[in-house]
Amino acid sequence: MLTVENLRKSFGGVIAMNDVTLHFDAGSLTAVIGPNGAGKTTFFNLITGAFPPDAGRVLLGGEDIAGLRAPDIMRRGIGRAFQIASIFPSFTVREAILGAVNARRRWYARVGRRFPLAEAHAQADEVMELVGLSARAEARSGTLSHGDQKLLDIALALALEPRVLLLDEPTAGMGPEERWQMMETVHQLWQRKHMTLIFIEHDMDIVFKYAQTIRVLSYGKVLAEGQPADVRRNAQVIEAYLGAHYRAGDA
Amino acid sequence: MPKSPLTRDLLFALGALALLAVLPLVFPGKAFSDFVIRLSAFAIFATSLNLLIGYGGMVSFGHGLFYGLGAYSFALLMQKAGASIPAAFALTILINGGVAAVIGAICIRLKEIYFSFLTLAFQMLLHSLIIAWTSVTGGDQGLTGGLPRPPFLGIRLDDPHQLYLFCCTVLVVSLLLMRHLVQSPFGYTLRMIRDNPRRAEFLGIRVWRVRLLAFVVAGIFGGVGGMLISLFVSSAYPDFAYWTVSGEGVFMILLGGMSVFLGPAAGAGILLLLNDLVTRFTEHYSLVLGIVILLFALGLRRGVLGFAADLWAKRAATARVAASQARPAA
Amino acid sequence: MLLFLVAAGLSLIFGTLKVTNFMHGSLYMLGAYFAYTLYNLSGSYAVAVVGSALGVGLFALIFERLFMSRVYGADVLMQLLVCYGFILILDDAVKIIWGAEFLSMGMPAAFQRPPVMLAGGVLPVFYVFLIGVTLLVAAVLAYVITKTRVGKIVRAAAINPTMTSALGINTAVVFGGVFALGGLLAGLGGALAVPVRSLVSGMGFSILIESFIVTVIGGMGSVAGALVGALLIGLVRSFGTIGFPLFTEGVMFLFMTIVLIVKPSGLFGKER
Repeated sequence: MLTVENLRKSFGGVIAMNDVTLHFDAGSLTAVIGPNGAGKTTFFNLITGAFPPDAGRVLLGGEDIAGLRAPDIMRRGIGRAFQIASIFPSFTVREAILGAVNARRRWYARVGRRFPLAEAHAQADEVMELVGLSARAEARSGTLSHGDQKLLDIALALALEPRVLLLDEPTAGMGPEERWQMMETVHQLWQRKHMTLIFIEHDMDIVFKYAQTIRVLSYGKVLAEGQPADVRRNAQVIEAYLGAHYRAGDA
Repeated sequence: MPKSPLTRDLLFALGALALLAVLPLVFPGKAFSDFVIRLSAFAIFATSLNLLIGYGGMVSFGHGLFYGLGAYSFALLMQKAGASIPAAFALTILINGGVAAVIGAICIRLKEIYFSFLTLAFQMLLHSLIIAWTSVTGGDQGLTGGLPRPPFLGIRLDDPHQLYLFCCTVLVVSLLLMRHLVQSPFGYTLRMIRDNPRRAEFLGIRVWRVRLLAFVVAGIFGGVGGMLISLFVSSAYPDFAYWTVSGEGVFMILLGGMSVFLGPAAGAGILLLLNDLVTRFTEHYSLVLGIVILLFALGLRRGVLGFAADLWAKRAATARVAASQARPAA
Repeated sequence: MLLFLVAAGLSLIFGTLKVTNFMHGSLYMLGAYFAYTLYNLSGSYAVAVVGSALGVGLFALIFERLFMSRVYGADVLMQLLVCYGFILILDDAVKIIWGAEFLSMGMPAAFQRPPVMLAGGVLPVFYVFLIGVTLLVAAVLAYVITKTRVGKIVRAAAINPTMTSALGINTAVVFGGVFALGGLLAGLGGALAVPVRSLVSGMGFSILIESFIVTVIGGMGSVAGALVGALLIGLVRSFGTIGFPLFTEGVMFLFMTIVLIVKPSGLFGKER
């Protein structure tokens, strides 16, 4: 579904992405891990068109999208949620999601009728229910708790009906119990929607419980990839990132 | 039975128009109808500016450009080209829209303060053009010679009463159109862009295009305001394009409320009242206005009553603290 | 060259306080009017220049402490309003105190000499003086900002006010000082303008726009940029007087637009 080939990007003199080649199968659930500064968010940024790569290709369903700008890429079926929830504070939850649905359906520039368009409601309701925000539908986004804001961020991405969903540290800033709840929600919506889901995560317990496959990045290069069991035995990964604690057998 | 929002707005508009039509019977005399006509021009202008500032998050310091451009285009078309009023109206709208598209395309790519100042710079460029091009615009005297008011569709705008009704109608229709735009999906997308342009891009929205369209629409309605004032004074003056028009527009918006659709219109009313009141007593209107603006910006942001309440609460708290300190330690 | 002084002040204030001093033109105007009065009172142009520069600097300091500092954190709209209010007040105040007609001072005796021959062209003595003063100021500014401890503190406060304040430096003093300096420069510009321009209420505004164009071209926060920008604009102006006067404005705009499109932070500016 999603393949990056020889992806390269530098900022000033710093090489953030160093000839990375990765593939993500359709419908897979992959975790991207690695130490801070490894280039994980840069990776997301390159795929979604926040800035263009210096070299390399990004193939979405076979089409090379490298170099396209964000709006054009998002329209081709990628959805993205951010590490720090990026939402529309003055909108209610329902309004925000309706707005995202409008964007998806290209209705967002229509002037003939009033917002919200009746056709958008069904999809918005479904998305709210998928992330579990239906109860908070009329709350103003700016007043939501941190966790709910992250859910809303994901909901906005879901409204785009993406083939590929990128979640940047979905559990960032959450307490232990909340993390598991969030990941459970993510897992469930992945199962229901069958999209290709890629998430960046630092909490190894969560990674090893939920991820089908793992990609490890370090210093802008791919350090390892594969099944969780293999990755946690990989000596390089342990040295660079996991530490002795996660050697095979430890939970 | 709940009415659709569109119907509600239409009914409200019709009611307002009916009220405005009837009021001259209660307040006969030129002062009142003159006030309302001037209010129409400013209310349309301020509301159009709020499309950019309040709904779009684009703080333009140079919106007065379209006010002046509208006034001069309309006046020149009427005076020099002998156009009929509807034709002049339509052409002015086209001119304003075209200029807005070009200027918007240049300015919108900039962020924040650069956008603000560049719009202002363009406005002053127009102002200089008006002053310099004496042969066409009459320079700093303004257009002399008055405006013809040929009848159209049976309407005679040289009759003050018909002029009054015409301006009220233009006011209500303009506000209604802008209201509809703001409440449409386009309007909500504009607000999304205001709240978080980056996120909007990541939803597949072409932010630049939406902003440009908003800028053009705002420019067109700003010009409509200019047309009304030009009709009213039967001329056009360089002052209409001077930066103070933009400044007053911003103040009207803040005075009346940025987040309420009719806020700018209300602010326009308040400011005009202030103007009329002050000029009755002194010619130093700028001084008084400046002081009022300062008071507003520095303290009265929550309105006069809010300020008073805050002051009261502070005094009460200080009194309590002083009282407790005066008591000897238990 | 006067443009450089005013623009440098604006640029400094923006670079350090991250605030656009929208009423900067009014400080220029005050400088001119102060100088006019001081010259008439004292008969000495030197006194007039120094006096008005200091006076405007002081005024700017008071303005910053009492008014601007309250809206630092607020919306740019509020900052705009505070400045706008002051412009209105000052414009009218000037009218009340000095009258609404155009005033002019004429060339002070010291400069009533035959013009100087320079590189094949003729330059009035006063203009030579202006250029000299401007270059001197530019040099002093550059030195102070880059070499002295005061300059370092100012730069530090610009980059990170919280940290600087945590290090024990009184940021209020720094901000007030920079604003006063910016005002002093503008006032100096105004004072120097008096022999060659006529005074009228509202004269500050056009120079504000030009200063802004200069700082945009040269880069906000950069004194060198302000110098280059002012030179460019000066060149454009002298060519413009040959043709249609509007041409000058148009070319200035063209320059500014090109710079904004190609390098938005200006020729010498840093990325914001």
